[in-house]
Amino acid sequence: MRWWILLIAAILGLAFDTGFAGILSLRAVGSITPTLMPVLLAFVALFAPAQAALVAAWILGLLVDLAPGEGQLPGGAHLIGPHAIGYLAAALIIVRVRTVVFRQQILTIAILAAGTVVVTGAVDAFLQLFRGFLPWTPPVSGAGMVALGQLLGTALYSGLLALPLGLLMVSTIGVWHFHAPSGRRATWR
Amino acid sequence: MTTLHRRRRAAVPIVVALTLVLALLPASWLGWTADLADLVRIPVMPLAHVGTRLSGWVRPPMEPGDLPGEETERSAVAIAERDEYRQLYNQQRLRADELADQLRTLQGLPPTALRNPMPPLVLPMDITGINPSDPSSHVELKLMREARGRVVEGDLAVVGHDIVGRIARIGAIRVELRPIPNSETGLVRGAVMAAFPGANREPIPVLLKGDGRGALHGEVDARSGVVVGDLVVLDEPSWPAVGRGLVLGRVMAAAPMDEAPLRRALRVVPQRRARDQAWVIVLATGEGEQ
Repeated sequence: MRWWILLIAAILGLAFDTGFAGILSLRAVGSITPTLMPVLLAFVALFAPAQAALVAAWILGLLVDLAPGEGQLPGGAHLIGPHAIGYLAAALIIVRVRTVVFRQQILTIAILAAGTVVVTGAVDAFLQLFRGFLPWTPPVSGAGMVALGQLLGTALYSGLLALPLGLLMVSTIGVWHFHAPSGRRATWR
Repeated sequence: MTTLHRRRRAAVPIVVALTLVLALLPASWLGWTADLADLVRIPVMPLAHVGTRLSGWVRPPMEPGDLPGEETERSAVAIAERDEYRQLYNQQRLRADELADQLRTLQGLPPTALRNPMPPLVLPMDITGINPSDPSSHVELKLMREARGRVVEGDLAVVGHDIVGRIARIGAIRVELRPIPNSETGLVRGAVMAAFPGANREPIPVLLKGDGRGALHGEVDARSGVVVGDLVVLDEPSWPAVGRGLVLGRVMAAAPMDEAPLRRALRVVPQRRARDQAWVIVLATGEGEQ
């Protein structure tokens, strides 16, 4: 896999999520906004070699954890983990299931992108809950069903965004050099 | 080859464990992540900046509703003038109340109490990054050269005459703005003003606390006459004096409290949000670089 292509895609993805995504924000329903990084992760995890996909997932998650408004702690610090671990968990699942799905179908990327948002949200909630039990962090208070609804809405909306973007990504698949010539490209469906 | 493959596979749980440890560290040990985030911003910020400008252009922020019963179709100049005079009016009423209290209790006032605060420097600052799905998360502003030393932590950011946040941190290349409803903002003293300035009702003090989800909550006496639509203005002595009388938000709910029948729970929602704008005005109070 060409890592510099992933770097460029990650920069574009972060710029989209922290700037351009505001255009698509559904302000009347809890500011539900689609995110591009899960789409990118789903695409990379579907096609890259397993080890590279996991490393890429961790790096993408780390970048998202350091993005504006994510995991904000006092003093401008960022909480590292919710996305780094969440994306890694999602990539592990995708790597496991990718042999039984139609990888080049856009719907596959859309569903897996939506699933990535849900998995990351679950990991985030677990980490926040666990941090709340620690003596050095204040107890957490969440929005409950409202937050769950927002998470599912974000997942659905990101899945919808993945339909055109997934098509765009699949059309650039040759640029990524996911597999060596002796790889398993012939098995892609 | 097999050994290398095994080592690589073993690396995944190690990386997960290390990340998990990082995720559980106290916030005070994670200060270095702010610098790391600064580095990540370097390639992302120019593009994200274009995105926020485009977002502000394509989808301009929703204008807050006008006073009940009034026509909403007013020119921008008239609205700006109205807001300005309303702020001055609220500011003077608060000032008059304060002076009246002081006159009742003190024989003499220090001369400085009667002087207006020094006018702060007004700096328009571009928004370069937001988390669009979290209404109260920090907003990042571009740190311009002329703002260095002038913008200090605690300065207010406004849009029109609405306070949209306070400066939480000034980094090497960016400034972090904490929206007022953010749960880290703490308690804020405000004053509830009647929606109609002619109502001739005394300002009602209220302590507000952000809920982290885009609103502020407080309590007032049930007989105070606070109704939905009333404006809440800043009256917090520990905040920059220039912000007194600026609008914190509008009362969106005033419900009776089961646990305290003589009190009413207020839900105050800011009229404008920094995240919906392309840029905000920071009322900088710093002295500047020497």
